[in-house]
Amino acid sequence: MATRTSRQGAASGALAGSRRRRLPMRLLLPLLVLIALMAMLMLRGYVHSEIMADHRIQPEAATDKVPEKILDGGPVIDTRSGRTTSMSVPDKRLVLTFDDGPDPTWTPKVLDVLKKHHAHAVFFVTGTMTSRYPDLVKRMVDEGHEVGLHTFNHPDLSFQSKGRIDWELSQNQLAITGAAGVRTSLFRPPYSSFADAMDDKSWPVTEYIGTRGYITVVNNTDSEDWKKPGVDEIIRRATPHDGKGAIVLMHDSGGDRHQTVQALDKFLPELQAQGYQFQNLTEALGAPSALTPVTGADLWKGKAWIFLVQASDDITDVLVVGLAVIGALVISRFVLMLLLSGIHARRVRRKGFSWGPPVTEPVSVLVPAYNEAKCIENTVRSLTASEHPIEIIVVDDGSTDGTARIVEAMGLPNVRVVRQMNAGKPAALNRGLANSSYDLIVMMDGDTVFEPATVRELVQPFGDPRVGAVAGNAKVGNRDSLIGAWQHIEYVMGFNLDRRMYDVLRCMPTIPGAVGAFRRSALERVGGMSDDTLAEDTDITMALHRDGWRVVYAENARAWTEAPETVQQLWSQRYRWSYGTMQAIWKHRRALVEKGPSGRFGRVGLPLVSLFMVVAPLLAPLIDVFLLYGVVFGPTQKTIVAWLGVLAIQAICAAYAFRLDRERMTHLISLPLQQILYRQLMYVVLLQSWITALTGGRLRWQKLRRTGVVEAPGGPVPRQRTHDGDRRPVG
Amino acid sequence: MTQGYQGYQGQQDYQGQQGYQGRQGFAAAGPVSAVSPAEQAAPAADTGTGSATAPRVPSGRDRYLDLLRSIALVRVVVYHLFGWAWLSVLFPSMGVMFALAGSLMARSLKRPALSVIKSRVRRLLPPLWAFSAVALALMFAGGWNPVKDPDNGGTWGLVKLIDYIIPIGAPPYPWHVGSKSGLLEDTWAVQAAGPLWYLRAYLWFVVASPLLLWAFRKAPWPTLLAPLGLTAIVGTGLVTIPGETGNAVTDFAVYGGCWVLGFAHHEGVLARIPRYVSVSCSALVMAFGLWWASGHLGPDGWDLNDIPLAQAAWSFGFVVILLQYSPSWQELPGRLARWDKLVTLSNNRAVTIYLWHNLLIMATVPIIDQAYNLPFMESDRAAAALDSTYMLWMFFLVWPLIGLAILAFGWIEDIAAKRAPRLWPNGVRKAGGRRRG
Repeated sequence: MATRTSRQGAASGALAGSRRRRLPMRLLLPLLVLIALMAMLMLRGYVHSEIMADHRIQPEAATDKVPEKILDGGPVIDTRSGRTTSMSVPDKRLVLTFDDGPDPTWTPKVLDVLKKHHAHAVFFVTGTMTSRYPDLVKRMVDEGHEVGLHTFNHPDLSFQSKGRIDWELSQNQLAITGAAGVRTSLFRPPYSSFADAMDDKSWPVTEYIGTRGYITVVNNTDSEDWKKPGVDEIIRRATPHDGKGAIVLMHDSGGDRHQTVQALDKFLPELQAQGYQFQNLTEALGAPSALTPVTGADLWKGKAWIFLVQASDDITDVLVVGLAVIGALVISRFVLMLLLSGIHARRVRRKGFSWGPPVTEPVSVLVPAYNEAKCIENTVRSLTASEHPIEIIVVDDGSTDGTARIVEAMGLPNVRVVRQMNAGKPAALNRGLANSSYDLIVMMDGDTVFEPATVRELVQPFGDPRVGAVAGNAKVGNRDSLIGAWQHIEYVMGFNLDRRMYDVLRCMPTIPGAVGAFRRSALERVGGMSDDTLAEDTDITMALHRDGWRVVYAENARAWTEAPETVQQLWSQRYRWSYGTMQAIWKHRRALVEKGPSGRFGRVGLPLVSLFMVVAPLLAPLIDVFLLYGVVFGPTQKTIVAWLGVLAIQAICAAYAFRLDRERMTHLISLPLQQILYRQLMYVVLLQSWITALTGGRLRWQKLRRTGVVEAPGGPVPRQRTHDGDRRPVG
Repeated sequence: MTQGYQGYQGQQDYQGQQGYQGRQGFAAAGPVSAVSPAEQAAPAADTGTGSATAPRVPSGRDRYLDLLRSIALVRVVVYHLFGWAWLSVLFPSMGVMFALAGSLMARSLKRPALSVIKSRVRRLLPPLWAFSAVALALMFAGGWNPVKDPDNGGTWGLVKLIDYIIPIGAPPYPWHVGSKSGLLEDTWAVQAAGPLWYLRAYLWFVVASPLLLWAFRKAPWPTLLAPLGLTAIVGTGLVTIPGETGNAVTDFAVYGGCWVLGFAHHEGVLARIPRYVSVSCSALVMAFGLWWASGHLGPDGWDLNDIPLAQAAWSFGFVVILLQYSPSWQELPGRLARWDKLVTLSNNRAVTIYLWHNLLIMATVPIIDQAYNLPFMESDRAAAALDSTYMLWMFFLVWPLIGLAILAFGWIEDIAAKRAPRLWPNGVRKAGGRRRG
């Protein structure tokens, strides 16, 4: 486990304890949100027949087990309580039956035509369609039609277990109850036709369904309208011979049904003129209605089901919009980054480019240190090798491990140690500022290692008098572990794409605490560092923007840092960053409405930073939710290809960033894993920051455990060590 | 950065480094550990220096590897019992077992190759003989006549019975023996003798190891990846080698990668590759395996045992990650410590457990069937309840049966390793209590 220490020293033990107890919450809430999203998606997939759909159809089988009188009998088959009887519709009566609905387009038209000709019919509705379009089922019942079960999602029941059959019926019934407040006792099996088509596979199902209290209704006149044979052909097939009664099979769903609607409009008046009556089944048979009103708990269960399905449909719509938004954001951000970082690189690498006259004046380097005993010596030694004239001021923030003594024992001439009671990093920096003698200030962490050229490169932009602060290029030293490689990729992209982009857009949100330079006059104008937020580096940078200073990126000012080695440490670090950034954005919110440079930053920089750093990551889980759903429930292939496409775009961006930074490409091999393990960690952290922000939680300072292995290539000391949590790859 | 990286490793894995040295010391001094499974014999056992010493608490064993072996064994038993295909993805047991065996083989091969092979074979065969004797007796009693067997009849069928003594091939067995209404299902022989392919594969690997190790030292990468390439040829239908030879070659190819990974682990080659490289690459190999499996689903769907190339790729990547993070524990840490005795026992009796478990799974059936005759089981509901929980009862019953098999046959492993036979070697000393290694 990571050793966590607190800047506030004394209270750390108790706080660490309380933190541990609260630990599961940070996982629990995001997890619950994700599970709820997934459940909603699955519910939607289920009523859209993406889940559990079974499209097998039983081939014809022998008929020797089907009673003769059923094969020869009418289309209404009653096998309830041991009966085996069938009935036919009396002469001059037609029962129109519509299967597979309701359909949002065609069912209303069918209902309109039926209403126009004062005809009643029977609709055998599926549970999925009923759940999605409950209003239509209610309309059917209200207008005097009967509804019957057609199973929940239309499988061939002869393949299904009894349990599944029960479930298909009850779920279908539940949906009808929820939609129209009634129960029905009519049932039509999917893929059924005439009574004489019953065979040894379907008859047992019919018998079983009778034991559940349902009357099975097949048909004896098939319009075959689903083949779209033309209006006249539908009418010809639907018309019974010699004035006989019949049950006519039609469809109001499953495709374009305009022929059915047109045929009905012709067919109904024609046959009514011949003396036919169009009634629902029980009217035609002279039986009591098949529909019974439902009250009480069953009704509420049905209503709850319909509500859930509607909610899942709505939520999914919102999610899809969210996914489109995040997709557009991600892609446009990448395009913008590629474009602007290319412009930036060309600009600053142009021959003869300079910020202004070369900056040669001496620089004060501030090193705030809190318990940096392991690292401070390497840090200071790397500074003494600087090619630029500097004074080094180590501010010991009440360390208990002798950090200050170590520096003093080194006995270096241009190094000063300033001690203070433990007061936090912003206070330490302000104290260092007060004790420094020069006008250019470099700030670094007590565990970061500079190259000899770093300070010089870092202050060159001050040749331009408008530049108030400069961000350097922090690099991960320990990049051979998996988590290190992931952070390496993140840092290289963050410094070479994000920061260049922000530089060009003039709204860089953060000077990294590990390597940054400031003009004293700029710092003094905005009142120095502040401890209002957990991210004092973001806070000060935003303040400088609002004061009209330019903040730029110096790509060659490299500082070597050691990235967190455990998930725990990484978590603490990122939590602080993301929460601190949110605090800083909130603190500077007034810039939105102000005039001048502050307003410019407030209306361009702040929204951009909020969008990319706070809002976009919030939508990022959608990518994973849809990925998971797509992989499990299909279309698997398309989903994976789409994901690989996004990965390819990211790989291109990363490769470009690596090229800009002249890094070896080998680490990019860990990019695919980064996308399925690391990115999720980052947004869960952000989600947690949101929760903290919304619930007004407090956050303490956490420091990383240091191992100290980073060395700067070409650095003055063979083994240098660095470390802390304050350099930020993403601006 | 390399220097920094290594220094860093050293610091962070301080504990681990100690463990590693402990292991080295063990290997050099060669005291007999109480927990050498015969199958993956500790090298010291053959030097004879400590063969007479009394059982001891584990001292130099890498408990992480022991734990992996125990998990692999449990996974095999559960998989054979429930037949859940996804278990083959969750934990590729066979690959892990071959990798562990390969690692130990590489360690032993510091000594003359022939004596190592001889000692390995000697440790393997007696436990097999005990199993073969029982299984064959049962088969013959069931009316199996290998000469008249329709699948492998004739004299050849008789000759192939040798595989029950020296498993150069997987031995023949009747597809149906006894009657369906008999005590055991008529396919019990298939179930019982099915797992014997592992011994054949293991034997082949042991015999081939001196050559493989030589090749690995000459050309590590080609040797490591050659089995995957071979699997792509013989395991995909590109080239089909008929009969038992084909099975042997395919298995050799499928698990050869894991075996050589064991070498790589022992030789420290894996540790020299930056972790991000090995983990990322193995993730890609595993993704390939899954992709291949998705297009070549077997009769049981995602069961990798039916999809050689997917099995080879998935196992390879999985083993790389397991060995890459190999923390070299001297003792099981934290909550795992409570499993210490079981891990020790299962490692000491790995061969016995593996040989007998499938027969014992079959044996649970007639025992559980007795429950139907109990007086309170007469109602339909009680019978239905038993029906629906049958597998669960098998699961609970098979472990005591395995325990009985360990008591009855486990000591043969000790004899084969020229050790004093022990009844229940779970690492607890009878006198003097436990001594921490």
